[in-house]
Amino acid sequence: MDDKQPSTRQKIDPGSAKARPKRTLKLGQRAAQAALAFLLCAGGFLSLFPLGRAITRSTLLLPALISVSEPAPLVLAGDPVRFRRITISSSIGPVFLDIYEPATPPPPIPGGREAIITLVGAGDNRNVPQFLNLAQTFAREGVVVVNVGTPALFQYKVSARDGEAVVQAFELLEHWPGVDPHHIGILSFSVGDLLASVAAADPRIRDRVAFLAIIGGYFDVTSLLRTVGRRVQDVDGQAQPWHPISTDLYTLASSVSSLLSPTENKLLQKAFPLNSFAPPLTAQQQAQLSPGTAAFYHLLEGDEPGSVDHNLAALSPQMKALLIQLSSMSVIDQIRAPIHLLHDRNDSSIPFTQAQEFAAALARIHRPYDLAAYSIFSHVQVRSNLGLGQLLSDGTKLFQAINSIMLVGS
Amino acid sequence: MLILSLFWLLIGLLIGALANAAKLRPVAWVRGGRLRMLGLGALLALLGGWLGTLLLGTLFATASATCIAVLGVALLPRLIVWSNSWLHTRSSVS
Repeated sequence: MDDKQPSTRQKIDPGSAKARPKRTLKLGQRAAQAALAFLLCAGGFLSLFPLGRAITRSTLLLPALISVSEPAPLVLAGDPVRFRRITISSSIGPVFLDIYEPATPPPPIPGGREAIITLVGAGDNRNVPQFLNLAQTFAREGVVVVNVGTPALFQYKVSARDGEAVVQAFELLEHWPGVDPHHIGILSFSVGDLLASVAAADPRIRDRVAFLAIIGGYFDVTSLLRTVGRRVQDVDGQAQPWHPISTDLYTLASSVSSLLSPTENKLLQKAFPLNSFAPPLTAQQQAQLSPGTAAFYHLLEGDEPGSVDHNLAALSPQMKALLIQLSSMSVIDQIRAPIHLLHDRNDSSIPFTQAQEFAAALARIHRPYDLAAYSIFSHVQVRSNLGLGQLLSDGTKLFQAINSIMLVGS
Repeated sequence: MLILSLFWLLIGLLIGALANAAKLRPVAWVRGGRLRMLGLGALLALLGGWLGTLLLGTLFATASATCIAVLGVALLPRLIVWSNSWLHTRSSVS
């Protein structure tokens, strides 16, 4: 179309010096045309197609997750975030909801917003910087994030009854302005996976849960206790030393406290404080524990690694029943949503074998799932000072996991 | 939004420059044709960005601005030239 294009009728020797600038010109023209074609395809794909929009979101979310700060392009192009903290009442007591949502109305395409219910593990982790960053980044990308907290969870007690809190939050979100009720998923961290699994299996909502993503979660408390008791985990048939952190022991002891006498509770609290390792109970103190509780104590203390199976068998029938109740294992056959399992291979809080057991059980019952093993997490938080190799290999896997979550609402 | 709008204008200018390099400029645009392509690119990118914001949200507006600017610089000049010549033919017939 250009008026200055050379006439092709002129006879020029292709190898001559005169032909060279024209060939370069032609090459430049072709390169510009190719660049424009690429920009057209990329722009169209990233804005018009759901997969493209999910990729755009994931591309902005990944650096935010790894660097634990919102990248400048996201701050510039993302939505402003509105935060509110509300409390709703339910059959299990108050449910504390932290809501991070875009302050602008949802765009006509794709219509309603995606919503993610988060459960950030045992204790009150609502103000942990990595979680705040994640919630705000999601909200900037147009996703409504609702973090669910319960009094029991804040006190490091894991209870299957608290799944009710997640169901309540889900039902609230279904009627939340701007939220597409078919695009609500659950993202759990650490022991929050029990509540997430129980809710995702609940007949009231299980057919509408878009996805269940579990980061550093556990599957079966009995097998977890076996690993804790032996201080060894079996990864792919190989025994590896594994040492729990004090929070694990405290959470396990707190979660069974309803079955113990006040004296036993007091002794277990003394033996397993929250943020430190205490000296073992004396023989006299151990004598005050019932046989079942003493077996539980030895499992947590890890002082009888050769008698783990014996100690597990010695647990009281009530405690055995409670351990089953406290395991996601007990409800997985009722979960309909696809499950994404993310776990660090060297997780010192919940062993990686728990994710492998979860995946194996899902495979047995033919449920859709994917399992990604990482080495960039410290339990559920991204470690700092990561090497380039780790970032490239784990970043790719993390990108895929984020993309499948973002695709739901794109 | 001001910074985003300026960014879209910049993207549009770059796309206009690429369109010039790709020789998408009509033969009829002899005088100031190159500048016209730059201006067209910038204007279309700005329009595309705002349209993207309204329809898809600000997160996808830059991609939409790029897409619309490229489509525009490729098609609009031809359309303008064609409609000019069509109007000229029509007026000379009547």
